[in-house]
Amino acid sequence: MSAYSLKDLNVNCRDKYPVKNLWLKHKDLLQLELCTGEDSLNGFIEESGLHRPGLAMAGFTSVYSSHQIQVIGHTEWNYLESLGPEKRRAIFKNLSQFHSPLWVITHDQKPHQELLDMCNDQNAPIFCTPLYTFEFANIVQRILEDFFAPYAVIHASLVDVYGVGMLYIGESNVGKSECVLDLVERGHRLVADDVVHISQIGSSIIGRANPMVKHHMEIRGVGIIDIRSMFGIHAVRKIKKIEVIVELQQWDRHATYDRTGLSSSVEEIMGVKIPHILIPVLPGKNLTVISEVIAMNSLMKMDGMDTASSFNELLLRRIKEKAKGHKVEDFMDESIFNGNAYE
Amino acid sequence: MIVKTLYVTNKLGVHARPAGMIVDITGQTKSDVTIIHDGQKANAKSILNVMMLAIPPGSEVQFEIDGQDEEDVMKQLERLFHDNFHEESY
Repeated sequence: MSAYSLKDLNVNCRDKYPVKNLWLKHKDLLQLELCTGEDSLNGFIEESGLHRPGLAMAGFTSVYSSHQIQVIGHTEWNYLESLGPEKRRAIFKNLSQFHSPLWVITHDQKPHQELLDMCNDQNAPIFCTPLYTFEFANIVQRILEDFFAPYAVIHASLVDVYGVGMLYIGESNVGKSECVLDLVERGHRLVADDVVHISQIGSSIIGRANPMVKHHMEIRGVGIIDIRSMFGIHAVRKIKKIEVIVELQQWDRHATYDRTGLSSSVEEIMGVKIPHILIPVLPGKNLTVISEVIAMNSLMKMDGMDTASSFNELLLRRIKEKAKGHKVEDFMDESIFNGNAYE
Repeated sequence: MIVKTLYVTNKLGVHARPAGMIVDITGQTKSDVTIIHDGQKANAKSILNVMMLAIPPGSEVQFEIDGQDEEDVMKQLERLFHDNFHEESY
């Protein structure tokens, strides 16, 4: 019953990143300059990561990641420069057995004619960038990781509460949307309602709205509303890491809910473990303030403060003192003369 | 109403975890449940009430249960105390 919508996800992966997208979407970010013709941009990157063909240039070609971006950094460029045209031609003749989606030359260096010739033959693009190799690698890595990340669609709602990504799950009609609306009204930010696109990047699960639904919500009895135009730009957020899963459940007398906060339950989404909290829903129960408390409590936990554990330590100390026959404090220890306001 | 004395036989006494187990049982019943230790009375359905008693290992605890399913609730509590709250014994 628990977290039913997170089980048996239909997980997909993309496997071909069009080189044209890299050029059109990210040329400014990566400061790319195209050294070949526009028609050379028809290839696809089929593997995340960058390949530095230094060893291949030196003759070792039995392992070669030809589906990745080929990067000529400072080292490779200077190696090529030191060789002279004849040897360079031989190198690129040898490398022409592989067909790579694109070549990138970092450090504001210009491609050698021999590389240009090979790429023109293969109709593969060459980009130049003034970025250092590590800067270029950092950015491209993030772009490709995001693109190749496994993804799925779930029935849930995602809200940023005090910067904490809270994913609400539960049966239809349990009050997810109403809870989300109340949070938005109190100044928190809607990421997605009802449909959340999630993708797994490393040990994080990132949530986004459906590109068509975006910041719209459906409230039963009212219909479709647009949160951004109704509450303003501060009420929405495009993308958020999921940090807590809140499961809303119709209150059940016989279900057990966490009373101490000592046992931390987790739910797994695409192999990533995320803290999970089960909240019973009752008429008259204020889910908004509970949500804010959950968010603040997880911020405190991230900061190393675990209230439940420290309270229990205090209690265990008290029990020990009592067992030894020590005097325990009395509520009368708080003298009425300490607080005039309470007299 | 039934009244029964139970013994805390685990090593750590009634700290947060055992207190949580007690209220898991008492919270499900419609009967009134009172826990008495060392002359102090507390509502056994509230975890903070139970914890404030700071009941040390080896001590006596009295339960007063009043309601339709009092026998059943007492049986569950007896079993819980008998099993040392699934912890090491005193």
